[in-house]
Amino acid sequence: MRLDVEEKVLSENDKLARGLRERYRQHKVFCVNLISSPGSGKTALLERTLEALPKTTKVAVLTGDLQTENDARRLAKAGFPVKQITTGGTCHLDASMVIKALDDWDLDAIDLLFVENVGNLVCPTSYDLGEHAKIVLLSVTEGEDKPLKYPSIFAVAELCIINKLDLLPYVPFDLAQAIANARQVHPGMEVVETSCTKVQGLDAWLAWIERRRKKAIL
Amino acid sequence: MHELSIAAAILERAQAASQRNGGARVTKVGLRIGAIAGVEADALAFGIEALSLHTPLQGLVLEIELCKRKQRCSACAAEFEIKGAQASCPTCNGEQSECIAGKELDVMFFELEDAPCA
Repeated sequence: MRLDVEEKVLSENDKLARGLRERYRQHKVFCVNLISSPGSGKTALLERTLEALPKTTKVAVLTGDLQTENDARRLAKAGFPVKQITTGGTCHLDASMVIKALDDWDLDAIDLLFVENVGNLVCPTSYDLGEHAKIVLLSVTEGEDKPLKYPSIFAVAELCIINKLDLLPYVPFDLAQAIANARQVHPGMEVVETSCTKVQGLDAWLAWIERRRKKAIL
Repeated sequence: MHELSIAAAILERAQAASQRNGGARVTKVGLRIGAIAGVEADALAFGIEALSLHTPLQGLVLEIELCKRKQRCSACAAEFEIKGAQASCPTCNGEQSECIAGKELDVMFFELEDAPCA
């Protein structure tokens, strides 16, 4: 006997993500999901971002890792609400983990929510967290062919941040080719170039957030 | 290796389908996987095999339909596939396009043996 079903394998997660998206809409929260390999500089970018934002900004961060509270400790220094999600062994965040982490937070006190995913360029691609935009980070020490090797995340992310630009003189990384590769898998993809040790490109990144936030929160 | 959690989700559905049909054994599952779904078919098959061992779902056959990625040009609405280094629209050369297929990760059907007599 054949039973036709045609449903999404991750429909449970998608359902929870839709619930999150609706809550973000009601409470006017703009949420982005930062994804990269381990060590591309997601936490460093968030550190610089939090430092650059006015203290009156209603910003909060959820940061995911398999183990340790290290990232949350680093990010909490800026004085904004930060919560660590430790996944145990899981290689990605899913919507249920985000819901649990937001449980005791008042969403009316948040305008901008950063979700720093587990360092992994593959698995987080499949899991909708209710975010307005996925953002992929690529650092210049990784090689310009990353978008071609991991096309899925570059295809679904709205913005590509190329980080560690200060190291460009020391590594054989072809920046123009990296951007061309990103745009090959994602036609017209927006790209921002940053350095978090020399604090470079942050204005363009903050401007992108503001522009995208206005588009999301009508 | 998120294929393991995806395999678990598929097996849960197979088990539910079996329960809804008087405990009939599920022998085959049809899946549709897009080219940029981020799911490796071999790893998924391994996950299904490992998780179903010594359960009623052991031996479950996977029938996987792979879907190509398709784009729709934002300027002229032509639909096209990205081929090699050519990512712009082959009709109007437009650089902006949106992905309209290739992200699928769907259970399409189950095949069940006849239900055991009650």
